[in-house]
Amino acid sequence: MAYDRKQGGHSVAQANRPDYRLEIGRAEVPVGEPRGFSVLDVPRATTLRAWVATLIPARGARPDAAEVGAAEYVDATVFLVPALRPALMQAIDRIERSATDQLHKAFSECGVEDRERLLREFEAVDASDAFNMVRDFTYEAYYGHPRVLAALEKETGWSTTSPTRGGAMRPFDASRLERVRKLPARWRKA
Amino acid sequence: MTQPAADVLVIGSGASGAAVSWRLAGYGASVICLEQGDWVDRERLPKNHVDWEVRGRRFWAANPNVRRWPADYPVGSEGENPVDIYMYNAVGGSTIGFAGNYWRMAPSDFKVRTLDGAGADWPLTYEELAPYYTINESVIGVAGLAGDPCGPPRDPLPVPPAPIGRPGELLVGAYEKLGWYWWPTEQSITTAAYNGRPACDNRGWCTFGCPQKSLSTVDVTYWPQVLEKGVELRTGARVREVLLDATGKAVGALYYDGDGAVREVRAKVVVVACGGLGTPRLLLMSASAGHPDGLANSSGLVGKNLMTHVQSFAVGQFDEAVEGWQGTWGGTVSTRQFYETDPSRDYLRGFIMSGCRGWSPLNLALQVAPWGSGHHAALDERINHEIVMYLCGEDLPEEANRVELDWEHQDRFGLPGVRTHYALGDNSRRLGTDMIAHGHQVLDAAGATSVRDFGLSPIWGWHLLGTARMGTDPGTSVVDGSNKAHDVPNLFVVDGSSMPTSAAVNPTHTIQAIALRAADRIWEKRRDWSF
Repeated sequence: MAYDRKQGGHSVAQANRPDYRLEIGRAEVPVGEPRGFSVLDVPRATTLRAWVATLIPARGARPDAAEVGAAEYVDATVFLVPALRPALMQAIDRIERSATDQLHKAFSECGVEDRERLLREFEAVDASDAFNMVRDFTYEAYYGHPRVLAALEKETGWSTTSPTRGGAMRPFDASRLERVRKLPARWRKA
Repeated sequence: MTQPAADVLVIGSGASGAAVSWRLAGYGASVICLEQGDWVDRERLPKNHVDWEVRGRRFWAANPNVRRWPADYPVGSEGENPVDIYMYNAVGGSTIGFAGNYWRMAPSDFKVRTLDGAGADWPLTYEELAPYYTINESVIGVAGLAGDPCGPPRDPLPVPPAPIGRPGELLVGAYEKLGWYWWPTEQSITTAAYNGRPACDNRGWCTFGCPQKSLSTVDVTYWPQVLEKGVELRTGARVREVLLDATGKAVGALYYDGDGAVREVRAKVVVVACGGLGTPRLLLMSASAGHPDGLANSSGLVGKNLMTHVQSFAVGQFDEAVEGWQGTWGGTVSTRQFYETDPSRDYLRGFIMSGCRGWSPLNLALQVAPWGSGHHAALDERINHEIVMYLCGEDLPEEANRVELDWEHQDRFGLPGVRTHYALGDNSRRLGTDMIAHGHQVLDAAGATSVRDFGLSPIWGWHLLGTARMGTDPGTSVVDGSNKAHDVPNLFVVDGSSMPTSAAVNPTHTIQAIALRAADRIWEKRRDWSF
């Protein structure tokens, strides 16, 4: 969409340079629906759950991303776009290998700080764009979820229900224009 | 020879196609409209769903390369400043995903060459277009207040201005502090019940679809009336080429139906209304022995002079909660303080600044909240503490900025995509730099503790203009002041591609006024076409 530009790092989606940003258009995955895994096997699903929970951890009333099904959402997306599956699975395997090599345990069994460090190491060298893909899909699954939105409203005051339910607002007060109405015309005749 | 099926064939059902069909059918002309897309299933509008932001990035994505609806064609973006293309191929065209800012252009916008020595003059004046603005406002149901000293006197608007919320109030305070001109933004939103449509209920983020039908997209404004007038709308009709007879007159079009089978439709007049990319695409695809470089292209300017506006956003962060979910998305209050050319500045022409809401959670998180342990803190610093200003400046026409056919990337029936080439000109860069600086100035005056902006590139590709420009000289323009092609006596181009200059405001209102006026020119000449 037009409004998600990362500060200073936006690239235009191109027809001739396919990437996950293009491929998602045909992958409609409603957020928050109960679902399991269709592509990932149990070990990889376990790693991905730990991965998304590290991307967005719990805080206050807000759950971590795994609790609201972000891993299943990522899986459901690559189920609809098979071309994205290899990058996802290779990334999971690589992260899992790093955990085993460095810490001699599964990624999902590592502590939060170790998981975050391992992910940052992977992010720094990932040429496949898989890290960015999982991050973006996780954000989608998180900020589209009613449980998260309710918690966000409670903790920040941001009305997450108004976009779908609307609400009353005070009409514009035209008396605010008193000064401007007295200004001289500011347009050129042609 | 096959007899004409209608007086007028209109190709494209968007802002201009709907308006020209409405006007001509109102006079009694028989009209067939071909639309490559389909009606939008309103249940699928993102804002019908809690996860509307996610749907907005996928099914509803404004970039056709992402969305890939059946009627979409590939669009490449090349050049120093590639254009992130935003457009929809559906009944209603790109209005179905617009924000609904409905500006009139200023009188000086029509005489840029005469007044400022750059760009081009339009072969018509503000005064000639003004009555059509008024008609359009009436059909659409435009919200606003007459009396803005930054424009000529005008008729009252049909419905009152939209509420501006706390974000708008903060900007009003800033403008008052600075002593600047400002005014509530005119918008195609029914702020009161109008023409059978309900009053806006302030859901905002209008570009993600308006389930309420208060946002005046042409599928809910013009089209119901157009169909009542008897116009035949053929959806899933992807036009391959405009047909000419041996004398060089347009006689209809060949199009692919939904199954990809070729169909022919004939008419006495052909109107092209496919938008700033679609119109040059169709004219270039319609090359023939008599028009080897593309139809109506003896000037060589079909596809040239692509203008996009110089655009950015400035975002102010405030210590206080700003109720950033309030106010319209398109523009609460706006200023034209810097609209006209000012010799003391180092660029020609000017810009507007319009207040918006704050960013919504997902988009804000994607923009600024890093993953990991700092995620929530980064989001919480900004959500409900930011307001956004949309900045839009005039983009002068430059021939090197263009649209071309792209045969390497085709649609699903083998028709070519398009490739855009774009670079910001020197004037646009200087204007844009000053525009962003003034965006910061307003937000600072509003009390922001910090301001961020999005720079000038990549280009926000909502407004795609100028690629079949109008003018009096057939050597330097594609259509004349009646929107009739210089090269083909009964072929009209009535959309934003006909605009010789871009002005510095959202263009839909002007595009529709042009289309309504062109309809009158067609009707006045109806005996020439044997209506």
